[in-house]
Amino acid sequence: MQKLLMPGLLLTVIVAAALLAPVLPLPDPVRQDVGARLAGPSLAHWAGQDEYGRDVLARLVWGARVSLSVAFAASFLAAIAGMFLGVLGGYFRGLVELATVRAAEVVLCFPPLLLALLVVTLLGPGADTLIFCLAILFAPGFARVAYAETLATRNLDYVTAQTSLGTPTVRILMRTLLPNIAAPLIVQFSLTIAAALLLESGLSFLGLGVVPPAPSWGLMIRSARATMEQAPLLLVWPCLALSGTVLILNLLCDRLRDVLDPRGSRARPGFLRTLAALPSKRATSMPTASGLLSVRGLTLEAPGPHGPIPVVRGVEFDVAPGETVAIVGESGSGKTLTGLAIMGLLPPAISVVSGEIVLSSRSGQQLDILRLREREIRALRGGDIAMVFQDPSSSLNPLHRTGSPIAESLRAHGNPGHRVTELLRRVGLPDPSRAARAYPHELSGGQRQRVMIATAIANHPRLLVADEPTTALDVTVQAQILDLLSDLKRSDQGMGMIFVSHNLAVVSEIADRVVVMYAGQVVEQGPAAEVFAHPHHPYTAALIASTPEDDIDRLATIAGAVPQPWALPQGCSFAPRCGHATPGCESQAPELFRHGERRAARCLRWREFA
Amino acid sequence: MTVGAPLVRAEGLSRSFTRGGRLLGRGVPLLAVQNIDFAIRRGEAVGVVGESGCGKSTLGRLLLRLLPPSNGRVLFEDADLATLSHAKLRRLRRRMQMVFQDPYASLDPRRSVGAQIADGLTVHRLVAPKDAADRVAALLRQVQLDPSYAARLPHQFSGGQRQRVAIARALATQPDFVVADEPVSALDVSVQAQIVNLLADLRSELGLALVFISHDLHVVRHLCDRIVVMYLGRIVEQGPARAVFDAPAHPYTRALLAATPSLHRRVRTAPLAGELPSASKPPSGCVFRTRCPDARPRCADAVPQLEPASGDGTRQVACWRNGEPTA
Amino acid sequence: MLSFAARRLAVAALLVWAVASLVFLVIHLIPGDPAELLLAQGGVAPDPDSVAALREKLGLDQPLWVQYRDHLASLLHADFGLSMVDEHPIGAEIALRLPRTLELVGLAGLLATLIGLPLGILAALTIGRLPDRILSAAAGLALSVPVFVVGTLAVLVLAQQLHWVPAGGYVPLAKDPLRHFILVLMPAATIALGLAAAVLRVTRSAVLEVLERDHVRAAQARGLPPVTIVRRHVLRNALMPVVTVLALHLGSLLGGTVLVEFVFNYPGLSGYLVRAVEARDYPEVTAIVLVISALFVLLNLLIDLCYVLIDPRVRHG
Repeated sequence: MQKLLMPGLLLTVIVAAALLAPVLPLPDPVRQDVGARLAGPSLAHWAGQDEYGRDVLARLVWGARVSLSVAFAASFLAAIAGMFLGVLGGYFRGLVELATVRAAEVVLCFPPLLLALLVVTLLGPGADTLIFCLAILFAPGFARVAYAETLATRNLDYVTAQTSLGTPTVRILMRTLLPNIAAPLIVQFSLTIAAALLLESGLSFLGLGVVPPAPSWGLMIRSARATMEQAPLLLVWPCLALSGTVLILNLLCDRLRDVLDPRGSRARPGFLRTLAALPSKRATSMPTASGLLSVRGLTLEAPGPHGPIPVVRGVEFDVAPGETVAIVGESGSGKTLTGLAIMGLLPPAISVVSGEIVLSSRSGQQLDILRLREREIRALRGGDIAMVFQDPSSSLNPLHRTGSPIAESLRAHGNPGHRVTELLRRVGLPDPSRAARAYPHELSGGQRQRVMIATAIANHPRLLVADEPTTALDVTVQAQILDLLSDLKRSDQGMGMIFVSHNLAVVSEIADRVVVMYAGQVVEQGPAAEVFAHPHHPYTAALIASTPEDDIDRLATIAGAVPQPWALPQGCSFAPRCGHATPGCESQAPELFRHGERRAARCLRWREFA
Repeated sequence: MTVGAPLVRAEGLSRSFTRGGRLLGRGVPLLAVQNIDFAIRRGEAVGVVGESGCGKSTLGRLLLRLLPPSNGRVLFEDADLATLSHAKLRRLRRRMQMVFQDPYASLDPRRSVGAQIADGLTVHRLVAPKDAADRVAALLRQVQLDPSYAARLPHQFSGGQRQRVAIARALATQPDFVVADEPVSALDVSVQAQIVNLLADLRSELGLALVFISHDLHVVRHLCDRIVVMYLGRIVEQGPARAVFDAPAHPYTRALLAATPSLHRRVRTAPLAGELPSASKPPSGCVFRTRCPDARPRCADAVPQLEPASGDGTRQVACWRNGEPTA
Repeated sequence: MLSFAARRLAVAALLVWAVASLVFLVIHLIPGDPAELLLAQGGVAPDPDSVAALREKLGLDQPLWVQYRDHLASLLHADFGLSMVDEHPIGAEIALRLPRTLELVGLAGLLATLIGLPLGILAALTIGRLPDRILSAAAGLALSVPVFVVGTLAVLVLAQQLHWVPAGGYVPLAKDPLRHFILVLMPAATIALGLAAAVLRVTRSAVLEVLERDHVRAAQARGLPPVTIVRRHVLRNALMPVVTVLALHLGSLLGGTVLVEFVFNYPGLSGYLVRAVEARDYPEVTAIVLVISALFVLLNLLIDLCYVLIDPRVRHG
């Protein structure tokens, strides 16, 4: 809201001056004084006098009154008419749409100034004509915005919910629809005032708008043009007034958009982030990966209103060559961020606080991904480590043929690009050479995910990070993709895989080992079969029990919801929802207790469950 | 199970959409739901299951007449929803309600949850305005939320809490019939179970007829007496929940069960090949034949009708090989 | 692809017909007799005989549908009739002036794209840093100054004060190519300034939007260098909204020529229009409005076909 203060204040000053023109101590704007023709600024006439000796300052203020009232009145009429047409057209569609929005859009077939000229030819110049004509010109714009917003809103569930409650249509429109589409309409209104001001002054400048001797900024520029050799200042004043006012209006409009419609304002995209690598350690203290990948003490933070919020806290696990490790957790557990951190693709808002992610690369080096430079990580991405994302539809560039990302990946890592068809065949696409020439929208969701997998395995990665690769797919297709992934693992013995998922059942089918995450921490890890058969952490146990599968009458539930990262409990994060919590659990945060070679649980009472 | 006349009945229900139709351009007709007969009794819970694009959500909206059917009709007690006057339909809406999938989209972000729960009460003048607040508080308690939450805006709630508010809103008018369209699929696993149990409790407490639409067979089994399996706009199998689970009669139901991942099963059968055909160009004859492991040439000739399954009179199945000995 | 083009062409024809009909309707549905309106000067009632004569000359005494039919028929033959003021053939005058305006519009559009597009990309890639701040502020300023103010001030400073360029006018290309070019460049640059600012802004936001899409992250995950990602996966995707906004600005581009031709005393189609409006020469006005509107529809059609080249989904949709 503070952003609106400056332009709002300036606009208020201009509008107040225009409104108060009759009571301000100004000379009569139309009284001529031919003797003082083109006189420069003086004490009595601060901005000088024009070609008839009229006071320029008074004419500027009175001109604001005329210009602004024409612009405002026209915008107001246009807004009312356009909103009416747009909302009706968008809500009822069909013939109503044709009669309202589509009919109004015929006006848009004319360049605006031309239509205005046509109307002026017929009705003659004058302020009333101008208002009428500008209103007609700008109403279709409003109708379009209102129509688009109504279309987007009318099918939202909360509007349908009103219909299903039996709410009368007028009430739905007035109480549910209009308040929810108001923001873009307000932005459009301020845009329209600026545009109307420009058009009004343009027409007046051509001598076809406001009729002299009434002052208007456009008219003043027109007449000052004739005398610009003798009195260039006369030209400058109205130009400044007009441009300044439009500038303030545009500024207000931009700020309004930021405040009302946050979709438009954006942060720095992840792509442009210059990776803030952690300072590198001395070579001696560098840990070595026990197998393929070692994650140690990974801690990530997101900015919050009251300082940074921990979103991943001290995560650690290992991946051995050929092993599939699943990271399981609910939303907000930090599982996806952990996966992205391994790729060095964290969103820009997330910062790395500490930790190590050590990869033993193909070249035999031990590389800490958190301490590499962007250029060094890039050489690994798509080569040593590859990733498959959740949504195959948005992960493929809609403008490129499906063979193109595979070829790109091959070439980026110095491999010949002719293996595209072979790879597409490898992931089970029926007609690979045709599929390579198809566009993504011609493929089904499952086929697109196969293309993404083909891209990921193009350079025989040592580690494949799959982030919810089957969540966007149907069950029968999910089964196919899971089969494909296991098959790839069988044929490429050395490839390790990190499988991020919220679905325990899917994980139990594909994983060798599971890492269960809760509220940014690892709460349990171990071999998949053992963890699912005998969980050591109450959260894992409760998650398994609440999975609707067993032939029981009633599902077990976990009370409450996952804690928000800015309101973490003091002790064990799960204690408030845990059926086995003791007073000790609420005061003391448990460490990750290791148990035997392969298992670990973050629970004070783990021995009792083991 | 209550025996008696069905509360809601659909006969020969079809609905097609036109995709890509523009000025001077012909759209492609897309059959979302085709020739469906369906009935639900008072107090019964029916699960409608299928993958995306099978028409289950369209069916739900057709049953509530949030969409007009292209063909066929829906009867609520004996009133044909298509021929009812606008005013009568509005009045009837008090008795049928919907719970939506996405709790983030189903509540108006600009109004307090209390006001939204009260909407149904005020629209149908069910309580005096001064008693509305008490009724809202009672409803919030019924869905296990603190009554003091009534003044809050939706964004102050978690997904699970919002879904409770949406359920309270649907229950406000004391409906007889509720359609829940994937009400738990947008929620975290640990919260899903809470909502499923809440719906189960409310159903038995209030004697609701409940249509529960889901892509997850397991969720449906916990809640429903009867299961309807849909594929590409048609019902392929229906019957008592346990029977459909224990011995699926249609090859699609079998494939769906086999494909659903399980915590306990270690060995999985080969998944169904291919993907859902386009609804604008459905295969001739049986719509499932292109992916069916048991398809025979004659399956392409004509559409199989829903008929009693051989050896189990409680169930109906639409398959040409119904009655043949299964392998 | 062909069916798409055919459909778009049919829509464009329909729009031109709608425009022609609308122009006709506007003239006939406005209350009062057009002939009287046209002859009324300074509130003095025109003499009935001359009104009747004008009515006959304009065919206003015919039944409405006959007038409508004749109106469309003459348009089909590109016959715009004679000017009311000096009876010169309107079609010939349009044919003489249209290429000049097209040259102006084409040059302005080209300049705006050449300046706005790369600067918009630069602003997006340096978001929040100095180049972006300067460019965004400059674009905001350029969008706020009306085109006739820019033109007038340019004449004041460059021509009147500094005497670097002539104040305006027109010289045929064949006569003096350099002078011709300077005289076209001045008004074209004036129009291009605001348009370039609009292109810059929309390019910036389109590039930023594409940068956040999943496929860019997927391209990063493939290990592609940033330059390749921007070139292959950002720019072409960002072009769609840029082209859309260019289409939306076509109207103000064509409208801008009216003001700019006036300021620079450039003898194009728009200057002809202003003269016709001032003289209330109504056959002239309708003819020019129709031609410019048809041009507008045609440019929109070209832009629609651009979509097809950019996006395969449109081709198949």
